[in-house]
Amino acid sequence: MGAANLKSFKPPRQGDVIRFAPYIVIGVILIILPLFLPSHLEYLMARVFIFAIFAMSLNLIWGYTGLFTLGHAAFFGVGGYASSILVMRYGIESFWLVAPAGILMAALVAAVFGYIALRVSGLYFLMVTFALGELLVSLAQVDVWRDITGGTFGLRGIPPPNLGIPGFTWNGISWYYFILLAFAICYFLLHRIANSPFGHVIQGIREGEPRMRALGYNTWRYKYIAFIIGGLFAGVAGVLFAPFMMLIGPRHFGIVTSAEGLLYVIIGGAGTLFGPVIGAAVIIGMKYGVSMYTPERWPLILGAMFVIVVMFLRGGIYPHLVNLWRKARLRYSYGSTKD
Amino acid sequence: MEFVAISLLNGISFGMVLFLLTIGLSITLGLMGTLNLAHGALFMVAAFVGWTASVKLGLNYPLAVLLGGIAAGLVGLAIERGLLRHLYKQLNEQVVVTIGCIYIITNLSLWVWGGAGRTPFTGFTGSFPIGGMMYPAHRVATIGIGLILFFAIRWLLEKTRLGAIVRAGMDDKETTIGLGINLGRVTYLAFFLGCFVAGIAGVIGAQMLGANLAMGWSILLLALIVLVVGGAGSIQGALLGSMVIGTINAFGIALVPDFARFFMYVVMIIILMVKPTGLLARKA
Amino acid sequence: MEALRIEGLSKDFGGVQALKDVSFAVQVGERLAIIGPNGAGKTTLFNLLNGQEKPTAGQIYLFGQEITTMPTHRRANLGQGRSFQSTSLFPNLTVRDNALLAVQGTKPSGFQLFRPFTAYKYLFTKAQELLGAMALWESRDDLARALGYGEQRRLEVTLSLASESKLLLLDEPSSGLTAAESTDIVTMIHNLGPDVAVVIVAHDMDLVFGLAGRIMVLHYGEVIADGTPEEIQADSRVKEIYMGIEEETGNARAS
Repeated sequence: MGAANLKSFKPPRQGDVIRFAPYIVIGVILIILPLFLPSHLEYLMARVFIFAIFAMSLNLIWGYTGLFTLGHAAFFGVGGYASSILVMRYGIESFWLVAPAGILMAALVAAVFGYIALRVSGLYFLMVTFALGELLVSLAQVDVWRDITGGTFGLRGIPPPNLGIPGFTWNGISWYYFILLAFAICYFLLHRIANSPFGHVIQGIREGEPRMRALGYNTWRYKYIAFIIGGLFAGVAGVLFAPFMMLIGPRHFGIVTSAEGLLYVIIGGAGTLFGPVIGAAVIIGMKYGVSMYTPERWPLILGAMFVIVVMFLRGGIYPHLVNLWRKARLRYSYGSTKD
Repeated sequence: MEFVAISLLNGISFGMVLFLLTIGLSITLGLMGTLNLAHGALFMVAAFVGWTASVKLGLNYPLAVLLGGIAAGLVGLAIERGLLRHLYKQLNEQVVVTIGCIYIITNLSLWVWGGAGRTPFTGFTGSFPIGGMMYPAHRVATIGIGLILFFAIRWLLEKTRLGAIVRAGMDDKETTIGLGINLGRVTYLAFFLGCFVAGIAGVIGAQMLGANLAMGWSILLLALIVLVVGGAGSIQGALLGSMVIGTINAFGIALVPDFARFFMYVVMIIILMVKPTGLLARKA
Repeated sequence: MEALRIEGLSKDFGGVQALKDVSFAVQVGERLAIIGPNGAGKTTLFNLLNGQEKPTAGQIYLFGQEITTMPTHRRANLGQGRSFQSTSLFPNLTVRDNALLAVQGTKPSGFQLFRPFTAYKYLFTKAQELLGAMALWESRDDLARALGYGEQRRLEVTLSLASESKLLLLDEPSSGLTAAESTDIVTMIHNLGPDVAVVIVAHDMDLVFGLAGRIMVLHYGEVIADGTPEEIQADSRVKEIYMGIEEETGNARAS
């Protein structure tokens, strides 16, 4: 799918504070929001942030590098399972130990899967990533090691993270800020990566790999690294998801979770950093709303969203918002936006 | 020894179901450059339609199979005409749209038939004696039907004008159209046939698998693995791939049931590392 | 020293012999034009030189080093550059970003994850020079896909100049351009230093005769003539091929 209009590279100038205005405004809103929200909406927002991280990680691989994958949830599941197993089966309580372990595992699995999957491209890459995710689903369901993995039902009753902070309790507000902080860190890191030379190279690869090779780039290596980084951040989302929902199951490795990630990215706008965040918010919000009236029909509506967004809403919501913002800036900033 | 024979036959008969399912996917991919992930959902709908016809309405079995095929064909055609037609050569978009169709079809099926799975049903009762034990007749019939259809479709592809057009279209679409051949109509016919055969596979497969709502995804995955292993675009590839996967599945289930699927994935991965285009991929 | 040496290069596409036993050498700083009717194997030759295809037989040496099966990106880092016959830009990136990526190709900064791109001032300076020299600086904020065809072809050539290659492979650089635009390309090639070898595939005879010190004629995958422009013009076999074309199309030039 086509990438949205990416901002051309201009070195920052003085008087450019206006560029940061959206971040500041949104940041402030997000920070004071819990004061106005009932508890269940705080949990909803936290859920949105978790999947926003997931969606952004997918976006790095797909929107930026151009690798359309159907198996991204595999790394999400690995993060969740690995960290939870360490807590529940091996008694390692500290979040500061199990979380990095889970994230690392996710990155490792991404390194293995990426090596296999990147041997092919396009259609075959799609099919292989799909199958690799489902491979983990089937392994998670294996009866033999049900004691560790929880078998078909997965892990239940996962305790909330042990931060080692005396007097800390887990409720709507603490989850909200905890996840928000994690989201902000991930967003910041991904933002750095997207704006780094690496971030530009992978976009070049998306736009024209043969040309990039002719220019001297070892494109396979870049794709591989991007794939692993994407898997790593998916692992972060998983590590947050499991204790938050207090459960994780085989289907969290599979196509159903991966496909939803795709939808978040598409609806929000692929190839932009913030788009997938919007996409996650929209879909999760819709699911919440629909579930209050006709939960049985939600898959129908979700499926319709897939169809509608491809047939009618190419490019996603976020680019439209960006255009509005740009037009507003042109009117209010002094001087031209061109050099 | 008997165990090996039975597992082999199980693998082949299940493989035949996979073969019929995968042909449609493979030809459509080769001919139209279209990937219809909802193909597995067509299989599922056909299974339920077949059940309704055979068990609920008491119609005779061949008719139930036919109805299942038609149902799958119609749904497939609807997806093609309504959606895929506008997405020529846009693989990612096709994938997303057809994933949406899987959700829609599955949920509508839930609405119509309810959430309970249907137990296996068949019109072929009885068993064949094979080397001292009895083997279910319906599985033998499946192998028979699969082989007949294999040869029929191969004859269609290689000996008829229609088939020549299809093959030409897969090798070089522009030239074929440039020669004044009405590739469009042939393409839709081929697409419908592919879905129809997938529907037949659904009803026949229901005798081994029953009918349940999760099939849309699970059988699709198997079809994709068959495509990776056997290679897209060729009938022989689809047959070889399905035989390989079917056999591994059967032996896996018999020996290490938990890991049957796992071994299929391993085979797929090995093929990918060694011969990524599949064992018998069509060279354009 | 030879910039490029090819020995017995053949490429067989499963029945179609695109190149038959081609051998020649290109000296440092030499300007060689390769001409020939369509289907003669010119682009195949470039694809083999570039690494996009592997030869069925033969060897390729770049500045004395064998590169016959070397991956494309490593050849680029050894000093080989290429422009493509069908425009190979980065359509959804700005012209400036296109140039930046091209300039960075043979530099190590690509793997840098955490410093902003803008910190690499020398990339920006170089990109600015490059775009300025090709009169593309004005369009630097436009998306590459929004450029007109002529500008796109200019950008295409610009990108292949970015790596300061010592062996430049230009595949039909002036195809589809106006006479004025073609002259710009000629000037640009003239301005490359004496240490840059250039191999051009072209149909535009003005370009060829204006630029090349040496011309090679390919026909059905074989080299049928190789010499100075005067020698080629006088060669009877060459005349036959092009006269044949002239009779078919009624045109003196195949462009």
